Amino acid sequence: MLRKSFITLVIVVLFLPFLPLVIWSFAQGWFFPQLIPDQWTLQHWSQLVSPTSRVIEGLLQSLAIALITTMLSLLVGLPAGRAIGVMDFPGKEALKLFLLTPIIVSPLATLMGIQFVLIRLGLNGTLLGVVLVHLMPTIPYMTLVLTSVFANFDTGYETQARSLGASPLQVLSQVTLPLIAPGIVVGALFAFLISWNEFLLTFFVGAGRVFTLPMVLFTLLQGGNNGLVAAVAITSVIPGLLFLLLASKALENDTVLGGFGNV
Amino acid sequence: MYKSTTHPQSLMPHLHLQELTKQFPGVTAVQSLWLEVQAGEILALLGPSGCGKSTTLQMIAGVVQPDSGTITLDGQILNRVPPERRDIALVLQRGLLFPHLTVGENVAFGLKLRGVSRAEREEKAIAMLRQVQLEGFADRKPSELSGGQAQRVALARSLIIHPKLLLLDEPLSALDANLREEMQDLILRLQAQTEVTMLVVTHDQAEAVVMSQRIALMFEGCLRQVDTPEQIYRQPYDETVARFMGGVNFFAAEAHGRQWRANDLTLFSEYDHYGSVQVTIRPEQIQVFTEGRSQTNTLPATVIANRFTGTQRRLTLAIASELTLQAWVTPTQDFRVGQLVWAYLPPSALWYFPHSTVPHPVQVP
Repeated sequence: MLRKSFITLVIVVLFLPFLPLVIWSFAQGWFFPQLIPDQWTLQHWSQLVSPTSRVIEGLLQSLAIALITTMLSLLVGLPAGRAIGVMDFPGKEALKLFLLTPIIVSPLATLMGIQFVLIRLGLNGTLLGVVLVHLMPTIPYMTLVLTSVFANFDTGYETQARSLGASPLQVLSQVTLPLIAPGIVVGALFAFLISWNEFLLTFFVGAGRVFTLPMVLFTLLQGGNNGLVAAVAITSVIPGLLFLLLASKALENDTVLGGFGNV
Repeated sequence: MYKSTTHPQSLMPHLHLQELTKQFPGVTAVQSLWLEVQAGEILALLGPSGCGKSTTLQMIAGVVQPDSGTITLDGQILNRVPPERRDIALVLQRGLLFPHLTVGENVAFGLKLRGVSRAEREEKAIAMLRQVQLEGFADRKPSELSGGQAQRVALARSLIIHPKLLLLDEPLSALDANLREEMQDLILRLQAQTEVTMLVVTHDQAEAVVMSQRIALMFEGCLRQVDTPEQIYRQPYDETVARFMGGVNFFAAEAHGRQWRANDLTLFSEYDHYGSVQVTIRPEQIQVFTEGRSQTNTLPATVIANRFTGTQRRLTLAIASELTLQAWVTPTQDFRVGQLVWAYLPPSALWYFPHSTVPHPVQVP
């Protein structure tokens, strides 16, 4: 009973800030003495889907960048996480610490140098350049998550599968990946959300030519159209929320990671 | 280095390990190991933990590459063959059923990899499950099985692909006592049906004795003795082997042919030797009588401890001066502490290790 009311309280506190956003997105003006607006409108939402606001364009670009970033960080994080989680080698602890540096050091400190390099490579202001800088925070997160997953992974399963006739590729697709799937979901969730919400790196490296949803939101905030800002803000939360719900669904009936799914 | 030479040369060994060596940084895990396993044989590779038996198993399975030496199975050198093409199936201690698959899918795993159609592999998996007495378990998840059931599924999963060699890594040690016996019977019965060659790796001498036809005893990376369980019990190669197999009675003596002198005692043995020796006798072999007999090797003794274990009565006997021996007799025989008794040490049961390092002749049949 107490537990239930506590959870309700947490949910209320977390979602309360969204209430004004929802009201704003449907309000035709909402000024000080009013508790709720007098007039309601769908104008902001129709503006949002119209091409002139560039919101849909930003949404699609954000989605593309976040998905590519997630895929690439998986590609790096899987072998790296396996190596650190399963194998023993000198300097392993130092490497783990080194992995944290992109998370510890503020991107502001490294941005100038990165931009310089990207301009020389001709990647400044391109989608690829933005993906590359998004990988800086996502690869460490992905690797660390998968390291802890592989640290609890019994490689005996792989030995067993090979003795039954599975090639290394078959072991990967039929045994290892299914067994660590929950870990992959968690890592992918992290990477996707980090990339999705990234503003600073995109702002500098994208140089205004790569227009993601946070860019759209930033431009609109300067424009002062509160209703549209609210609608875009709500839109920007939806993919992350959807991903989170799907992930927790996938993690719910999971036996490998134990209680990991009940987070 | 001990070489197993127990089989006539005309018989090609099924599995043949030749001078197998594996070093890890700082330690030699396996050193110049020679071992022959015949087709259809059950051999136990026995030794304390860290003796190199697991490394040997991993080299045979192909998970670890030997530094030197060759592994031959059925006439084919396996060193460069990847694990999946060796036709060697593993049953590991923890069972390790794939948790994302059902019991049936686990058993059929090897068949699926071999491109067997779904209908056929389901049928075969069900038949295989019946053989391990788990009929009707095909649709369950591994998490719903007990330890013994999981182990049986693991066995079925390995046997369904008809491997040339079945490697079992401590197959019974995760199970409790009464389950062990059941599992052991099942393994031996399935082995008899399929005639698969089996190599059982274990640190438990009881498991090795009941599971195998021959035991290869391994210490510190080297084989010390390869023999039948009975032979290892009766004629251990040295004191380490004897102690590992549960030997508790050791004393020094001077051998003059078949007549051995230990302190003031004169004992007679079936074995001929000259020089100082270390004598051993298994505690079960000593017979204890309450009345004196005029027989050789029958010595007056005092019971100084008496422990009842349920299946045995373990007596500690003080014989003459300074010689203390353990005698394990049937629990129906009862003795008081302090009682004077007669201990008979059968000449055939008195075994010895020479103090020299030269292997004694009895070793090679």
